[in-house]
Amino acid sequence: MPEPMIRLEAVTKTYAGTPEPAVDALTLDVPEGEIAVLVGPSGCGKTTTLKMINRLIEPTGGDIVIGGLNILDLEAHELRRRIGYVIQQIGLFPHRTIAQNIATVPSLLGWDRAEIAARVDELIDVVHLDPEMRDRYPSELSGGQRQRVGVARALAADPPVMLMDEPFGAVDPIIRSKLQDQFLELQAELQKTIVLVTHDIDEAIKLGDRIAILNVGGILEQYAPPADVLRDPANPFVADFLGSDRGLKRLGLIPISTVKLDPGPVLPPTATPAQAHPVMERYGIDWIAVGEGEHLNGWASAETIANATTLRDVDLLPFQTTLQQSDSLKEALDAVVSSHTQIAAVFDGDRFLGMLTGEEISREITQ
Amino acid sequence: MTWIFAQADKPLIEWDWIWSHLDDIWDATAQHLYLTGMAVGIGIVISLVLAVIALRRPATYPTIIGASGLLYTIPSLALFAFLVPFTGLTNTTALIALVTYTILILVRNIVTGIREVPADIKEAAVGMGYERRRLFFRIELPLALPVIMAGVRIATVTIVGLVTVTSLLGLGGLGSFILDGFRRSIIFPTEIIVGTVLSVVLAAALDLILLGIQHALTPWASRTASS
Repeated sequence: MPEPMIRLEAVTKTYAGTPEPAVDALTLDVPEGEIAVLVGPSGCGKTTTLKMINRLIEPTGGDIVIGGLNILDLEAHELRRRIGYVIQQIGLFPHRTIAQNIATVPSLLGWDRAEIAARVDELIDVVHLDPEMRDRYPSELSGGQRQRVGVARALAADPPVMLMDEPFGAVDPIIRSKLQDQFLELQAELQKTIVLVTHDIDEAIKLGDRIAILNVGGILEQYAPPADVLRDPANPFVADFLGSDRGLKRLGLIPISTVKLDPGPVLPPTATPAQAHPVMERYGIDWIAVGEGEHLNGWASAETIANATTLRDVDLLPFQTTLQQSDSLKEALDAVVSSHTQIAAVFDGDRFLGMLTGEEISREITQ
Repeated sequence: MTWIFAQADKPLIEWDWIWSHLDDIWDATAQHLYLTGMAVGIGIVISLVLAVIALRRPATYPTIIGASGLLYTIPSLALFAFLVPFTGLTNTTALIALVTYTILILVRNIVTGIREVPADIKEAAVGMGYERRRLFFRIELPLALPVIMAGVRIATVTIVGLVTVTSLLGLGGLGSFILDGFRRSIIFPTEIIVGTVLSVVLAAALDLILLGIQHALTPWASRTASS
């Protein structure tokens, strides 16, 4: 493994006057370009850990190294200007316009005016803000818009490392999901090394390349990619924290393309009802799908085909729910349980690839 | 007042006197403004220093407020009388006393204003690399400005009233007309009214000007979301 961008080595924080450490000998590597999510119940030291990385809280033991440089080798304010920082309440400066807010760190670094103005324009575009917002004050913006400004401000000096403390915590759930999606798109492009704190396990699973599950007292219970954590929780604490719908959450991470599809109860239009019966029996269903090769025409019930000579003569019904192979198994399961046919047809664009049954999906969970 | 004016064998306003004393009125107004401006200006500087001390060492805040509160309770006349043996009948005497009365109001408003700056804004600023001094001058002080300006306005209006009293020291100001009006063998209402009305007008005008300055300095404070 190449040198990680951020390395925490036996990092400990004991607050004066308390015997128990808030964070206890935490060791954690964050590879370059990845999002590491710190998640856990309150009192687990996740925010303390995050704030030790930009020295808002000074560790009482251990080392933190960013890009090969021990963070204690820099003045705290110089270190912080090299690290993007986003907090839950966003903390925009109410007396400064959106453009001035975004320009915060470049101004502190002494960039010249033209350079700053160009960078601000670029960032307003990057985070999908209306350019008209440029000269407004934060109080004139909606919660979602403020969150974008907060992200733009953190990105302004193009820091390789970003720290985000509940960055989507202050926006309502519908906007949150949209902002998370846009954040992931942005990250795919920018490839920052990000440490993100959340208390929401679903957010951790959605955003993290790796998730660190912390227990009270800053004890690291497990640190692995979300799919691994969901498949193999290290201990009962992790399993409990993941919740009883752990299997479902895991399905959400697995794309249909990784599963071998069943050809499905599909017969060509030239087939006869007599040929259809054994197929229906084999699948234990009372309907048959009609199609050829990569084209799926539709389906018909056993009753409607009873008097036909070939399946070509039957009026076919369309499949109500179809899936793309990039969809997750969770979406597939939803399609299966909510469709009349109990089987979901999977496509790549218009190309019919095969079918998924509930059985196959559950096999994937229990694996 | 009606009783006093009834005693006076004079009309309430003698416009002739006003027209012939425009120069005196102007001088007195200018002196009044000078003392007010100096007192509030010096008061702001001293209060800023005291406020910074109180903010850095919160344990000192009760002492600072207690001491300036005690000074605030001393009657102005008594304070002038106390200072004259040391500093004479000078502007210095007047200013020392006047500045004293601004400190309680100003320190309290500066400290409150800065303490009320939301923690998340300060955390964001420090987290992005603001040092303490820059945080104070670029973030905390500007954001505390509405509260600080409210204090400056109260202090200014208070001082305009107190400067009237300093005329007892023979330092001029609009109070000298009031004093003179009473001192004559026959009370002269015109002078009393000119002194009183002008000091009230001055206080109101300064308050409005400061309010205008406050709005000009904090354009962000009056804007809110339109959607």
